[in-house]
Amino acid sequence: MGRAAVAVAVPVDETRIRMSSLWRDGARRLLRNRLALAGGIVVVLLCLVAIFADFLAPLPYTKSNFGRLNEAPSREYPLGTDQLGRDLLSRMIYGARVSMLVGLGAQVIVVLIGVPIGALSGYLGGRMDIFLTRFIDVMYAFPRLLFVILVMSALGAGLMNIFIAIGLTGWVGIARQTRAQVLAIKEKEFVDGARALGAGFGRLLACHILPNALTPIVVAVTFGIPEAIFTEAALSFIGVGINPPTPSWGQMVGEGQQYIRSYWHLCVFPSIAIAITMLSFTFFGDGVRDALGPKLK
Amino acid sequence: MKILPIADAQVDLLAERLRAVGVGRREFLKLAAGLAAMGPAGFNAQPVAAAPKLAPGEKLAKDQTFRYGGGGWWQDDPTSHDFNKDLYCNGAPALFAGLMKFNADHQSVLYVASKVSSSPDGSQWIFTIRKDSKWSDGSPCTARDFEWSWKRQLDPASAAPYAAFLYDIKNAQAFNKKEITDPSQVGVRAKDDWTLEVMLEGPRGYFPVLAAFLAALPAHRASVEKHADKWTEAANIVCNGPFVLETWQHGKVMVLRKNKHFFGAKDVTLDTVTIPIIPVASGALPYENNEIDLTSLQTGDLKRLQSSPKTVEEVFRYPFPGTWYLIPQVTKPPFDNVKVRRAVAHAIDRANIVKVAQGFAIPAHAMIPPGFPGALDDPKVKAIQHFDPKLAMAQLRGTPFEGGKNWPKITLTMRDEALGSKPLAEAVQSVLLEHLNMRTDLEVLEPRVFRERLWKQDLQFVWIRWFMDYPDPHNEYFDTFYGKKTTGRRQAWVNDAFDKELEAGRDTSNTRKRMAHYAKAEEIMQTDVGYIPVAWMVRYAAAKPNVRGIEKNRQGEFVVEANVYVDMLPHLYMIEKA
Repeated sequence: MGRAAVAVAVPVDETRIRMSSLWRDGARRLLRNRLALAGGIVVVLLCLVAIFADFLAPLPYTKSNFGRLNEAPSREYPLGTDQLGRDLLSRMIYGARVSMLVGLGAQVIVVLIGVPIGALSGYLGGRMDIFLTRFIDVMYAFPRLLFVILVMSALGAGLMNIFIAIGLTGWVGIARQTRAQVLAIKEKEFVDGARALGAGFGRLLACHILPNALTPIVVAVTFGIPEAIFTEAALSFIGVGINPPTPSWGQMVGEGQQYIRSYWHLCVFPSIAIAITMLSFTFFGDGVRDALGPKLK
Repeated sequence: MKILPIADAQVDLLAERLRAVGVGRREFLKLAAGLAAMGPAGFNAQPVAAAPKLAPGEKLAKDQTFRYGGGGWWQDDPTSHDFNKDLYCNGAPALFAGLMKFNADHQSVLYVASKVSSSPDGSQWIFTIRKDSKWSDGSPCTARDFEWSWKRQLDPASAAPYAAFLYDIKNAQAFNKKEITDPSQVGVRAKDDWTLEVMLEGPRGYFPVLAAFLAALPAHRASVEKHADKWTEAANIVCNGPFVLETWQHGKVMVLRKNKHFFGAKDVTLDTVTIPIIPVASGALPYENNEIDLTSLQTGDLKRLQSSPKTVEEVFRYPFPGTWYLIPQVTKPPFDNVKVRRAVAHAIDRANIVKVAQGFAIPAHAMIPPGFPGALDDPKVKAIQHFDPKLAMAQLRGTPFEGGKNWPKITLTMRDEALGSKPLAEAVQSVLLEHLNMRTDLEVLEPRVFRERLWKQDLQFVWIRWFMDYPDPHNEYFDTFYGKKTTGRRQAWVNDAFDKELEAGRDTSNTRKRMAHYAKAEEIMQTDVGYIPVAWMVRYAAAKPNVRGIEKNRQGEFVVEANVYVDMLPHLYMIEKA
């Protein structure tokens, strides 16, 4: 009995040591990657802008000035005004809030749906696995954007509904990743050990398997965020995303693009914002992937 | 901008003209009583178009080819050119000629008909048809063709979606709704080849106006019977207008050629008209690349073309009878409270809102835009919903929303379309937030979904437009707001006094009295805030310097093809480029 207890305790300890050093290693590698670091800094800045939009924006995003429509950038309006005479800079600052909310909010839903389904499928195996994998395959086969538009037209426009629409369609990738990881990890000896010690189904999954499957999930989430931001931008661009007057970058590009030959600033600045955000997240995501799981490359 | 439709001076002029051609005072009264929008031009046989007027040094171009489109003109492939079945088929109207047509002043004037007269009360009309009226295959286009075409539209088997436009004809509605099955009971009859008799459900002063509308264009019986729905394909179509359809590459381009059998062919100068089908998003690019000679402009391009010395001379404004307005749904809170509706009406800062449209809209204080029959320039009407933020806030006193507080969630809904609709709606949101602290969400719905929910009166607050179909207040009030309408009613608001005025307007033949009924209706609707007029549309177009013959209206504005006037092409001609 005593021998068995020791034999089990060791791998658990080892896991903790390996994990903490894995994260520390990861952080070190991430910091050394300059592109990823730059991306990370921009991401943090964007988050701060989104959180403190109320203090940063020079004007409320609804404040229109009908005497100053479509003005090019000036000292008073650093990025110019839009077709309602609203300050473009203020609207872009508030737009960051929508983008960040969508990016993070949608990923929460994605993780909440994708991880349990993937984990169950991988862990239970058998018929349940076949059923869930086929379901995942079916969901995967839908063209993503079309499906999102479909969900949006059923639910109506709005921030919450964008979370739901992206969440409902975005979870399949993560579910697959999780399933693959769980399949591999559940065969490991420490899992047997934990089971032998009497750990139940829930505890096994939550405390032993999932923590070890976390790396690819984290990477998937980091890449999922810009994808969600871009989906929101695309939706708002075609007019099924965020309802005015709430500003969103995609919507601003959509409304501004018809004036591009006359008032270039209306769509150029929000486009730049979207591009920078996408790039930063992608660089950061690349860095995270390289740092945490070089094998994933 | 004081332009009233049937000014006394016009009526007098009309009388004078009639005297000149030997029509007595009594007959004149009979006729004039009904002809709401009919001007002097209608009573003389008119050439289809005036002869080209060349300035010294100008020469008619050898190649009379004219290309136009873009900016919303034919952005989608027409579903057909069968106006007789579907007046919104988006086809080329120049392929057909109706009994009457609208001239540049949007008056109904004679076209295929050479004479029109009515019974004293205006419940019976007789159209005499030109003897040289022909189809493009050379066969005569007679009164029987019109009788057959109108009955085809009303026949339930045709399933024509807008058959209701002919419901003024006796038994038309009953026939269309299958209550009677015998088409001979429908009140339209060819007495002989050249005389069309129309019996109406009652006095309808505006009937010649309806007869000028796209819905009243004829269809060629033999072609319809042979080719069914495919009869307006280029290979099959037989038409009676100034042009024939030479080719129609679906979704790409239509080419029209002058119809040599058209009765006015000698007055038509253009040989070929090319109409490419271009999405509205391409803006003025095709025009600037010299791929088209005339285009309608969108907000994005106007300022640029106007500020370039090369194109500034080519840009001009044209009237486009359309009205933007708000429907506060009286069945949905908070708009079930008339005080709230009044507050909203007074908070609409029209002068500022239209600035967003950058010249494409002017402030509206009523339904009918200036220059059209029934337009109201009355200070009393203007005052009903005038902009006054203090008064707006004051309306809320005693309501749960006093001081602009406690607003429920309010969604402003509009249809997905270009036309600068969205910036205007956002400007409406902006002024409501500013003056009433009323925050609204703007919801843009796909057109079909929008229409379905609109007709269920399921929308809380609607941003919408009405394009005038034919220039008579009956269209702007009855077809839009009549409370007893069973289909296509946009608003839940109903008001008996208002409906009575519309019915009286419909059944009166004295023009001045009719207009008084409609003015009263407008006053009732605005006072009860059944709707809130916001802006009238204005459009801009650009034409290459070698395009000539674009007609001007009485106000001296150029008039191009829009939703009432469709008679542009026969008047155009090209000159040699300088």
